[in-house]
Amino acid sequence: MSDVVMQLVVNSITAGALYAIIAIGFTLSYGVGKFFNLAHGVMTAIGAYAVFYLTKGLQIEAWLAVFIAIIFTGAVGWLLERYIYAPLRARKASTMVLLVASLGAFTALQGVLSILFSSQVQTLTQGSAVQQVVAFAGATITEIQIITIITAIATLLGFVVLLRYTLFGKSVRAVSDDEEVSKIVGINTTRVIGVVFFLAAATAGLAGILVGFDTAIEPTMGMALLLKGVIAAIVGGIGNIYGAVLGALLLGFVENFGIWKIAGEWKDAIAFALLIAFLLFRPHGILNKKS
Amino acid sequence: MQELIYYFTHLAIIIGIYAILALGLNLVVGYTGLLSVMHAAFYGVGAYATALLMTQLGFNFFIATGLSVVIAIVLSFAIGLVLSRFDGDYYALGSLGFGVILYSVFLSWRGVTRGALGIPQIPKPELFGFEFSQITVFLLLVVVLAAGVYLCSRFVTRSSFGRVLMAIREDERAIQVFGYNTLYFKLTVFVIGAGIAAIAGALFASYITYINPSSFTAMESIYLLSIIILGGLASLRGSVLGAVFLVVLFEGLRHIGLSSDMAAHMREALYGVILVALMLYRPQGLVGKYKL
Repeated sequence: MSDVVMQLVVNSITAGALYAIIAIGFTLSYGVGKFFNLAHGVMTAIGAYAVFYLTKGLQIEAWLAVFIAIIFTGAVGWLLERYIYAPLRARKASTMVLLVASLGAFTALQGVLSILFSSQVQTLTQGSAVQQVVAFAGATITEIQIITIITAIATLLGFVVLLRYTLFGKSVRAVSDDEEVSKIVGINTTRVIGVVFFLAAATAGLAGILVGFDTAIEPTMGMALLLKGVIAAIVGGIGNIYGAVLGALLLGFVENFGIWKIAGEWKDAIAFALLIAFLLFRPHGILNKKS
Repeated sequence: MQELIYYFTHLAIIIGIYAILALGLNLVVGYTGLLSVMHAAFYGVGAYATALLMTQLGFNFFIATGLSVVIAIVLSFAIGLVLSRFDGDYYALGSLGFGVILYSVFLSWRGVTRGALGIPQIPKPELFGFEFSQITVFLLLVVVLAAGVYLCSRFVTRSSFGRVLMAIREDERAIQVFGYNTLYFKLTVFVIGAGIAAIAGALFASYITYINPSSFTAMESIYLLSIIILGGLASLRGSVLGAVFLVVLFEGLRHIGLSSDMAAHMREALYGVILVALMLYRPQGLVGKYKL
């Protein structure tokens, strides 16, 4: 029995770590852009398929492929911001217009991936190599899951350092507070927002790559991951990166313990029930001070 | 020749079903300004309820459709109560959430919906011994129902009730000051939209004779949303136009030699591009009157 609980705890933490990587980027881009960038989800698929193409198509070493893929995904995120969101913001479009535009970008990019790679399920791992499994206090965890957890921690720490101790971080926080005033005091807000979108997309791409090495990839993988990231970000308190991580962990635990006694397909329903409960009773999330 | 007629009749039926869906959704999104991303879920509720009532309990199509509309209304009333607490983007996310939850129910409540296997052998409608088994006769039924929905929608939007809806869209606070209970109006229009979607679901189930959860995903809701944004928000003609465009585009892509799979991907990509372009250059859609 305790073994089951232990395994559930391990599963919850790995799921939470993955959601955290996605939620951090989502919450940061919300902070500076002030709209729900739903195209964030498809970045996971773009990152994963970039690695797939580079390793299986061009036979590039895995580590280099991952690196290039992350940069590439970041660039796609930057392009969306530069040529779609920034012009819309300049025109004072409502957040709903931005949301629908990002939904359009999501659909378009997902469609392009399906055209290029077909909707078949693919794997990133070479051949049929069985994953290394590590036993840990009565539970098992795969190597890639350990890497996911480490990546999540590194992503969080990286962003904390960036936001707290660098000049760039200061301007990100300034733009999140008030874009107009930031502009007045001489911050190049377009550049700052662009870089944030680059970083957000790059980390989402990384999350997709991790999923690809852990299980499998398909062009439509972005939707489910996006929704989990969005739920984590809102539950934790949108705009707050610690909140995003807390929300992700909470979501991981609720989801995995929720399906303890019932079938696994209910996971998504449980996740959304959590979101709706939070929207109703604590709409600003766990950590947000603003009301 | 026979085949050609069959083919065009088939297309007309599909367009009719999508037009019904778009009309209902436009009342909610276009006229009232509530960005609902769960329309496909109510479409699914109508399809499943009708299919189950007909195959399991042997109900007549028209009675089953009526009951499935009632089921959709009750369900949407409960969901609408929760959703009415949100606005703007949060409304969109909350409704997306309910859409995913209902999809999970279709997929996972195996004892009733048979999960991914779906429900086969759904009978065709029958009225006083007359069967709507011929495709042209079925088209007639779809056209009559679509016209009915169109006229009802027109009545709703041109009545004083419709004017309050549009006022809510423009400035909810202001219309509240005038003493209107906006919750009542938002709930009512949401329920009407869901009921209309259930009619489309019933027609779809009976026409295709087989349903499974894959027709009622979140992605389908997004498609429906793009139909009305493309055609035009707060425009009934726009809804119909959007439905025609969706089906014609897909068939056009198939006719230039793409496989049905590839045509679907191509349509997905094109729809995304169109949505982005509309938001950038024409946020009210082709013939719409309201910008998001």
